[in-house]
Amino acid sequence: MNKENILEVKNLRTSFFTHVGEVKAIRGVSFNLKKGEAIGIVGESGSGKSVTSMSIMKLLQHPGKIIGGDILFKEKSIVNTSEKEMQSIRGNEIAMIFQDPMTSLNPVYTIGNQIKEAITRHQNVNREEAKNKAIEMLKIVGIPSPSDRINQYPHEFSGGMRQRAMIAMALSCEPSLLIADEPTTALDVTIQAQILELMKKLKKEINTSIIMITHDLGVVADVCSRIIVMYGGLIMEEGTTEEIFYNPKHPYTMGLLKSIPRLDLGENQRLVPIEGSPPDLLKPPIGCPFAARCPYAMKICEKNQPPYFETDKNHRSMCWLLHEDAPKVEVDTCVKRGKI
Amino acid sequence: MNKSKDVLLEVRNLKKYFAMKKGFFGGNTQYVKAVDDVSFYIKRGETLGLVGESGCGKSTTGRTLIRLYRPTDGEIIYGGKDISKMDDKELIPYRKKIQMIFQDPYASLNTRMTIGDIIGEALDIHKIATGKEKTEIVHDLLSRVGLSPDHAIRYPHEFSGGQRQRIGIARALAVKPEFIICDEPISALDVSIQAQVVNMLSDLQQELGLTYLFIAHDLSMVRYISDRVGVMYLGKIVEIGESEELYEHPAHPYTQALLSAIPVPDPDIVKNRKRILLEGDVPSPINPPSGCRFRTRCMHAMPKCAEIEPVMKEISSGHYAACYLL
Repeated sequence: MNKENILEVKNLRTSFFTHVGEVKAIRGVSFNLKKGEAIGIVGESGSGKSVTSMSIMKLLQHPGKIIGGDILFKEKSIVNTSEKEMQSIRGNEIAMIFQDPMTSLNPVYTIGNQIKEAITRHQNVNREEAKNKAIEMLKIVGIPSPSDRINQYPHEFSGGMRQRAMIAMALSCEPSLLIADEPTTALDVTIQAQILELMKKLKKEINTSIIMITHDLGVVADVCSRIIVMYGGLIMEEGTTEEIFYNPKHPYTMGLLKSIPRLDLGENQRLVPIEGSPPDLLKPPIGCPFAARCPYAMKICEKNQPPYFETDKNHRSMCWLLHEDAPKVEVDTCVKRGKI
Repeated sequence: MNKSKDVLLEVRNLKKYFAMKKGFFGGNTQYVKAVDDVSFYIKRGETLGLVGESGCGKSTTGRTLIRLYRPTDGEIIYGGKDISKMDDKELIPYRKKIQMIFQDPYASLNTRMTIGDIIGEALDIHKIATGKEKTEIVHDLLSRVGLSPDHAIRYPHEFSGGQRQRIGIARALAVKPEFIICDEPISALDVSIQAQVVNMLSDLQQELGLTYLFIAHDLSMVRYISDRVGVMYLGKIVEIGESEELYEHPAHPYTQALLSAIPVPDPDIVKNRKRILLEGDVPSPINPPSGCRFRTRCMHAMPKCAEIEPVMKEISSGHYAACYLL
């Protein structure tokens, strides 16, 4: 394993064994994360982005199961670690922020109690020290008068403040990896801007690696330096943020970029939706999962799953169009460099 | 504000307060001032967008317009008649003219009814069609929203989110309305599906000459679909104008902050722009700040702002904002 990498996911496969059959939620996903790096995983619901994060945290619930591949965290495989060992990693070294701050805090404990629990669980500190640490964390995430706030219950906090408290809790043990699963989806734009600024600041100060899972391309453009685009349980395209936005190679990425309205482009553009809906992962397509909705689909796309084609050192896409024998396709995605 | 013949709906000083029971012995009741003195008009065939943060009263405004709530005060003039004080019986003809599309496509369809029954119910209630004729109308509506007539015998759980929202739209269209209130119709949908639904809404508007009130918190989508946009904050409209004008030249500090907070899917722009970060949260609508309601979060707040509430001022033709800076 590369020493620089904090996390390596190798050919991960996760399935849910439901009563109607095996839902293949992740069908072979590999990626690396460097120390101090922020990557974004984007995709629509059912693309497998949340299941990827749950697999890394080993929080998959029955009937979900990792059926293949490996996850290396700090050069150690965590796929077969016991639940007890996992508990010392979870929260301590890998922390997670969930989408809905309203339901992921316990309503019958004070905010302070919940942060202190995370601290005393993983660190050898007494109650006084834990309390001071909790106050300090609330201060870092920008909650006013933290020494009073620590005794309040979640219902006394607003949505944005609850998400801040969640971040304070996640960062209280200074984890080396933070997984944020749609951290701002439930929040208003003004509060979202506050939280994103906070995450960027914390990344700089604590040097935490971040995996940001979202469906909002604007959010990843802001926080992440590398982007993974997922669809149908597979990584469709991976590259630096600039490459993905200005030089997308996969028709799905292009489709995503074209279907969002742009404020800076004025009104005269018409949105170009991606027709159809995502594949059923009970019976995943044999070929490329996007073939049924792809405007450039060829015969081979339905029969064979394309391999990854590297178009640049840090840019790979799973698409037959990049094969040397394929017809060349020029697409205007509206996102171009240097017009501000 | 200018009044011409083609104004379909005009709202004057609309207020909607919700009473909150306080204390065991009744005592003094407090009110949540969800909509507090809102005035605007919508012309026939146009789309008015209504944006703002959660709790600003945009959904309450929509629900009061369709008379799901009884307004506390003010007038709702639809096609020349005030519908704000009408009783249920008098409202029946207006229920046919005004329809609504809801945010949550999972909660707004009855799980025990087939799609055909859901869409056909309105036809029964308003005695528009029965029997074979009704089936034909339902099939026609389904193909209009991009579904197949065979879907009429299926149940809501068999459909995806985008398809369910299409069913919600077909249901709203069943009674041939003139005016549709779209309350966050796309916020529960995936990005690639959002564009499908929005394009369909604008095609339907062209074909059927519909008028929309489009309520959303996604400012970029609102600009895309609306002719004019109103920005709400704590129960008040702080700025309203043609969408091009409002987005290019936002006048109110709140609109400016709101626009600068939108994540832009373009890394170069993100790196180079200045963001106006608003501190804190929206104050409680039970005890809104005195004077200008935005002053507690406004970077330009002056002593004057706390004393008297600024009135709406016309900055350019059809562009109004309420702020002392102007």
